[in-house]
Amino acid sequence: MSQDDTLQGRYRSAVDELAGALNSNDEAAFRGAFDRLRAQLNIDLNPELRRITADAQSALRRFREEARLEVLADQEVPDARRRLAHVVKLTEEAAHRTLDLVEQSTPLVDRMSVEAAQLLEEFGLHGSRQLAVSTMWPERATESLERAVRDTEHLRRYLSQMLLAQGYQDLSGQIISSVIKLVIELERVLGELVSLAHGEDTRRMPALKLEQTQPQPDLNGTGPIVPGVSRGQHLDSQDDIDALLASVAGGK
Amino acid sequence: MSNAMKILVVDDFSTMRRIVKGLLNELGYTDITEADDGNTALPLLKGGAFEFLITDWNMPGMPGLDLLKAVRGDAKLAKLPVLMLTAEAKREQIIEAAQAGVSGYVIKPFTAQTLKEKIDKILASKAAA
Repeated sequence: MSQDDTLQGRYRSAVDELAGALNSNDEAAFRGAFDRLRAQLNIDLNPELRRITADAQSALRRFREEARLEVLADQEVPDARRRLAHVVKLTEEAAHRTLDLVEQSTPLVDRMSVEAAQLLEEFGLHGSRQLAVSTMWPERATESLERAVRDTEHLRRYLSQMLLAQGYQDLSGQIISSVIKLVIELERVLGELVSLAHGEDTRRMPALKLEQTQPQPDLNGTGPIVPGVSRGQHLDSQDDIDALLASVAGGK
Repeated sequence: MSNAMKILVVDDFSTMRRIVKGLLNELGYTDITEADDGNTALPLLKGGAFEFLITDWNMPGMPGLDLLKAVRGDAKLAKLPVLMLTAEAKREQIIEAAQAGVSGYVIKPFTAQTLKEKIDKILASKAAA
């Protein structure tokens, strides 16, 4: 009969020996059978362990040799984080500059509006062409003052809308800040991988370990909706939100 | 409605605080104080006679929802009108804010008209209570 290479075949005699020692309550024989079985298990497992170890060493060697990863970890990913932070700073400065100009323009518009209205009022010119003619007041000047009153009202609304439009800096800033958090996490993981590949203690990068982030629960907020990225059920309009709030309040 | 109403605006973005302050000025409200998160807002609320709170949700330190809960849990502040002005639009977040006792919820980006309507509505409800 040819040698039995199945798992059962290879372990049958050792297991029979172990069972025999157990049944005969022979402690010494059981210990011997157990040691032989364990030795056989080691022989079978060792090639697999050697292969896994070799694969891991090979992977680490390839990782060490791949200089690109080190450059990414030490330079490019931290640079990406700084660039994003700089974008937030630039947009914030631009938004503040626009707000400065809006705030400086508003009193000028107000003054123009008030003075034009006062002139019309003082000379009793509003809607009174006859009086304008009798006082030799040029009709074009009356029209100009009336137009100034109307136009400054438009200008006031436009300035208000410019003020609101700067809200983009808050929304884009929140989105970029969430990407910065992700880049910090990537930076930390890459740093630890590089340290591991070099057989170094990860304390080499204490700052990165300090910046370790945890998944953010919704309690802290998740930021503005980003098409194709935001998950879960969102409400698109203020009307939908008002209706939901009313239904929750009504259900209390 | 009192234009002398003392309002606290809480947002971590200075641009948004400035925008809200500017819009409130246009509506006639001039007594406005700013804070950049719940941790700085809460002592101000406890120490000052604020009549209205406008807060963002997503802020480092103490987020707006925690601030709302702290306000509702404080006997002296519990009845303070709180308007949440935020980009958070998840259904469950809005329900959570409503259950925590938010007086109004405005989603960013918003209009001056929406802000005015919500403030007026909250003040009218308070006056009727």
